[in-house]
Amino acid sequence: MAELIWLVPLLPLLGVVINTLLGLNDLRRSRANAHHDHGHDHGHGHADAHHGHSDNPRAKRSGLIASLMVGLGFVLTLVTLVELLGMPAPTTLGENNRWFDVTYWNWMAFGDLKIPFGFLIDQLSVTMMLLVTGVGTLIHLYAIGYMSHDERPTRFFVYLNLFIVAMLMLVMGNNFVMLFLGWEGVGLCSFLLIGFWFEQRDPPWASVKAFVTNRVGDFGLLMAMFAIYALARKPDGTFLHSLIFREVLDQGTVFSLQQYSTFFLGTQYTAAGAIAFMLLLGVTGKSAQIPLFVWLPDAMAGPTPVSALIHAATMVTAGVYLMIRTHPIFELAPSVQSTVTFIGVATALVAASIALGQYDIKKVLAFSTVSQLGFMVAAVGMGAYVAAMFHLLTHGIFKALLFLGSGSVIHGFGNEQDMRKMGGLRKKMPTTFWTYIVGTMGLIGFPLVSGFWSKDEIIGHAFDHDHRTVGILLIVGAVLTSFYMGRQISMVFFGEQRDQHIHAHESSRWMTAPLIALALLTLASGLINVPGWHPLTTWLEPIVEEEAAKFHLNIAAIVTILGLLAFAAGFYLYNWAAKHKRIKPNQRDLLHHWGGDFYAILEEKWGFDALYNAVLVKPYKALASFFGKFFDVKIIDGIVNGTAELVGLSGRGLRTFQSGYVRSYALMFVIGVVIVLGFFALR
Amino acid sequence: MISTNAYVLLSAILFTIGVVGVLVRRNVIIMFMSVELMLNSANLALIAFSRARAESDGQIMTFFVIAVAAAEVAVGLALLVSIFRAKKTTNIDDVNTLKG
Amino acid sequence: METFLFITTAIVAVGAALAMVLSSNAVHSALFLILNFCSVAILYFLLRAPFLGAVQVTVYAGAIMVLFLFVIMLLGAENAELGEEKIGWQKPAGLILGVALLAEIGYVAYRGTKLIDAPVADATNIGAPTTISAKLFSTYLLPFEVISILLLIAVVGTVVLTRRRVVAREERQS
Repeated sequence: MAELIWLVPLLPLLGVVINTLLGLNDLRRSRANAHHDHGHDHGHGHADAHHGHSDNPRAKRSGLIASLMVGLGFVLTLVTLVELLGMPAPTTLGENNRWFDVTYWNWMAFGDLKIPFGFLIDQLSVTMMLLVTGVGTLIHLYAIGYMSHDERPTRFFVYLNLFIVAMLMLVMGNNFVMLFLGWEGVGLCSFLLIGFWFEQRDPPWASVKAFVTNRVGDFGLLMAMFAIYALARKPDGTFLHSLIFREVLDQGTVFSLQQYSTFFLGTQYTAAGAIAFMLLLGVTGKSAQIPLFVWLPDAMAGPTPVSALIHAATMVTAGVYLMIRTHPIFELAPSVQSTVTFIGVATALVAASIALGQYDIKKVLAFSTVSQLGFMVAAVGMGAYVAAMFHLLTHGIFKALLFLGSGSVIHGFGNEQDMRKMGGLRKKMPTTFWTYIVGTMGLIGFPLVSGFWSKDEIIGHAFDHDHRTVGILLIVGAVLTSFYMGRQISMVFFGEQRDQHIHAHESSRWMTAPLIALALLTLASGLINVPGWHPLTTWLEPIVEEEAAKFHLNIAAIVTILGLLAFAAGFYLYNWAAKHKRIKPNQRDLLHHWGGDFYAILEEKWGFDALYNAVLVKPYKALASFFGKFFDVKIIDGIVNGTAELVGLSGRGLRTFQSGYVRSYALMFVIGVVIVLGFFALR
Repeated sequence: MISTNAYVLLSAILFTIGVVGVLVRRNVIIMFMSVELMLNSANLALIAFSRARAESDGQIMTFFVIAVAAAEVAVGLALLVSIFRAKKTTNIDDVNTLKG
Repeated sequence: METFLFITTAIVAVGAALAMVLSSNAVHSALFLILNFCSVAILYFLLRAPFLGAVQVTVYAGAIMVLFLFVIMLLGAENAELGEEKIGWQKPAGLILGVALLAEIGYVAYRGTKLIDAPVADATNIGAPTTISAKLFSTYLLPFEVISILLLIAVVGTVVLTRRRVVAREERQS
């Protein structure tokens, strides 16, 4: 299998190529048809071009090709997993022999620096690959149903497959530059897919916002890479001439990063700390942490399968993957580790609280995602890498399920996303409802369902390793999570439908089948690292060198009881409100009645957008309009037009000499002769 | 023996008269004849220099000038005829269509 | 004798040139120019260039000036300068420039006296037809041939320029 691992990213790439060619062919044919039909009435061939009226046959064709490619990738990854399992298990701590590193060719070489194009397949990357291809396949299948009425399904699947390729590059790459290639690739696909419905008002802006915000983080990642290349030395003192993970993250090499340090304001900063900090900046961008999380909620303007795949399950977890991959660097910088924890906890709390104030079904889930990513980041900061990875996996599954469920609701509810217009949908969409309930159970940590194990492992680790405050704050986050999920379930599925104009219906099998599959996975995925057996810990142990977490029944009980109480509170509160007609479209939430301005702050997302608008966007726009409206118009155009006017003016002056009288020309000629002759005569 | 200077001076006087003729007269044909006068004065100077240097090259140059002048007169007069057909005039100031 | 001949001829030449420029009738101008050419031809003889003197009389004074007279008669352009002078300052400016040019040339001739002063004594046969033809057909053979082509072009050009448009139109119609 090691010889065929390149097939995993190549197959989706093949899907990209096939679908692109098919799309070009469609385009050519539709152009030819349009040309041919010119002058006739609209023929039957145009019916599929109208949005939302009939199924687009291309959705099934392109979607099946794309899903098949990703699915084959999943199968190959499973084979790889089995092969890695077949390798001898490590016997001593710190030993790892379940990996292979294949280099295909020398990708770039500048001077000393040589960047290979190769894959590192070990426990961590295989785990990520399983998530990407597995959940990816289900979401691809779902998208066949979701995009069935769309005008451009082929393009959608091209982007989606391209995303899978880039994400696989990110997790499979054996060096930082390969990782960066994938990192930028997923960013590009995210941009393309958020702005997929570019003819609408919001998506283009959301895509630009996501792209620009991510650039800030990418700057950090790039700086970290440069610093590693510039500073890291091998134990024998020679510089590294590559950025290969296995060389950079070697213990001896990483320690060399501590040799460089500087005192600033009485504190010692090491190169390892600086690099870790730069990496953290990259993580906050890609994994939507404070302060760069603002793009993720807006990214919900994209199609829902995109939200599920990219903005919940895979791409946004890249930051967590990066931190786990580079954890030796973080471990050398305890202060940065605390910063990571702080950012994670803050994000978890802030985002969970904002989710209380959202009316858009997807926005709630978006902030929930940000919040859950905060849990993972906090876990990484505390050194609970396995717990973070565990939560990453379970979250990838149940949040994908929730997003797809919300997509099913939106799809069946006339593309309406406002929860205040919904209500009572459990009878009209039973499958969606039940799978959504399972997803919610996963998210709020219903006993024995996936989130219960993974979230409790993080919180338990916090208490185990003397991070009591962190643990308590994360419990608060979990309680908030349960509350907003209770609110959402109540608003969407219970009570009476508040906007009676919309005809709600259950979605097609293409969409419900992946929901059921994901629901089953959600129920089962807690087994990945169930206490007492914890296969994930054993599996990842050679990489993260971490002991299995202990299971604390008391903590789990407290968290679960509090969470269920909060869920019940949210659920019954909004059921009561619905019964008493306190929820109406375009009316503020019930909590605003009691919470007042504090709730307004939640609605306004703690003012982050307003702050960035005031501090960054407005000055930037002012600068741009200065350059656009003044500098370009007056100075640049002034120079250009001035030159033209000068030429025109001199032309107007000189044309008086062209009088049309040959004698005048002769006169000028003779004047010239007299002057030249005089010059020579008098010299 | 007349000095070369005297011939050159005479040539200069004739040349200047030609120049003034071109500048002052409006009749194209007289302007043209003034040009011929200038060519002729140059020829005179050439021959004077030829004698001064005891070389016949100057005379050969004059010979060429006369040949070129013949060609020039033929073409020039043809142009005059053309212009006259178009404009019905030989007054050079009436031919000023190409003014800026 | 030679000095007397030179002075007389020079006076005639300058006078004829002035008269050519000043006379209002183009036919008179042409005749004065012929007189000028003839007097210059005499100077050529004085300068020991008998062949060119002959060419001057036959080609210039004869052929070319006859062409001028033909054109003047053809176009009836004896008195072309009727009407107002359109460029007022042209005449004074032309005169001033002429004087300046003359002054400059005189100054140069005056300063360069020594360089071009003494005529060479034994330059008796430089203007003989044999001498000229010997050089013309050896050293200057290429310019000579080029001149012949130039004349051919001039002939063709003249024919093209003077051909009547009407004829061309009739040809196209038939």
